[in-house]
Amino acid sequence: MSAPAPPPAPHLPSPVAVTHTDLLRVFAGVAMAGIGGGLPAHMRRAALERAWMTELDFAESFTLAQLTPGPNAVNLAAMIGARLRGWTGALATVVGVLTPGLIAMLGMTVVTLGLPGGLPAPLQSGLRGAACAALAVMLTAALPVLRVVGDLRGGWVLALATFAGIGLLRLNLLPVVAVVVGAGLILHRPGPQERP
Amino acid sequence: MTDPGASWPEILLTFTRLGLISFGGANLAEIERVLVGQRHWITSETLASGFALGQIMPGPNMLAMTHYGFAAGGWAGAAAATLGFYGPTALLSAAAALAWRGLLRWKRLPSIRSALLPLGGGVLLAGVLVLSRGSVQNVTGAVIGAAVLGALIGL
Repeated sequence: MSAPAPPPAPHLPSPVAVTHTDLLRVFAGVAMAGIGGGLPAHMRRAALERAWMTELDFAESFTLAQLTPGPNAVNLAAMIGARLRGWTGALATVVGVLTPGLIAMLGMTVVTLGLPGGLPAPLQSGLRGAACAALAVMLTAALPVLRVVGDLRGGWVLALATFAGIGLLRLNLLPVVAVVVGAGLILHRPGPQERP
Repeated sequence: MTDPGASWPEILLTFTRLGLISFGGANLAEIERVLVGQRHWITSETLASGFALGQIMPGPNMLAMTHYGFAAGGWAGAAAATLGFYGPTALLSAAAALAWRGLLRWKRLPSIRSALLPLGGGVLLAGVLVLSRGSVQNVTGAVIGAAVLGALIGL
C-alpha cells in the first residue's frame, strides 16, 4: 500500500502521521472551502497548519504542478498526496478534492441543462461575489510563496518577469517557462567550489 | 445542435486529450473548438453556462468538463469526461512528485529548484490578476475582496 521508504532529506515532513482517511477528509474540506476559486491557497493552509509541509515544500509543489499538463488545482492535490503517502495518497487527495464538486455539479447539471437563456440571474451574481472572495484567498497564498522566492538570487526579477509575461502580455506559458527557468539555471549554476 | 448519443469511449479519448494539452490552466479556446465546433456535442450556450457553474461548485473550476460530458453522453458521458480529463494528468503529477522526491539527493537539484521557484511565484501573481479582471467589476466586489483578505490575514 505505502510508498517505498523515502531517502533521508532535510526538508521532508514525516509522513507517518498522515493517513489516507486524513487526506480524503481534508481535501474534501479544501474543495468545500474553495467555492469560487482559490483552491491552491486552501490546500496550502490545510497542509501547513497540520505541519504536513513547509512553506518551501508548498512553493516547490505548486511550481511543479504548473509544469505538468492538466488542471493545476487537481495536479497540486495529486502532488501533495504523492509527496505525503505515495501513489495511494495521490488517489486519496484527488478523489477528496473532486467528490464534493462532482456531486454538486451532477445535481445542478440534471436540473439546469436545457434551461432556456442559460443560468438564472441570482445564480450569476452570487457567482461574481464568490469570485471576488477567491481573489483575496489567492493573495494569501501568493504573498508567502513570493517571500520564499524573494530570498533567491534574482528571484524577484524572474517572478515579476513571469507575472508580466503571463498576466499582462498573455504570452503562452511554455516560452515563458523556457526563458525564466533558463535564466534561473544560469544564475544558480553550481560554482567551482560546489562541483564534485 | 447537441448530439446526446456520443459513445463513452469516444468521450473518454476526447477529454483525455483536452486534459493533456491544457498547460497552466484550462485551454478554453481548444475546448470550444473541439466540443462545439468539431464534435457538435454541446452548444456554445452550454459551454458558457457549464463554465459559470464550474466557478461556483466546490472544488476545481474545470468540473465544467463533467457538465459537458453529461450533455454529450448522459451519465456514462459524465463519468468518461471526468475520468479522461482528470485521471491521466493527476497520474502524471503524482509520478512527477515521486520522481522529484527520488532526486532529492542529487547535487544539482537545489539549483534547479531555485531556478523553478520564481516561475511559481509569478504564475500565482498572474492568477490574482486574471481573477481580478473577471471578478472585481464594481465597488461591492472590491469590498468583498478586501473584507475576505482582512479576515484571512487577521486569522
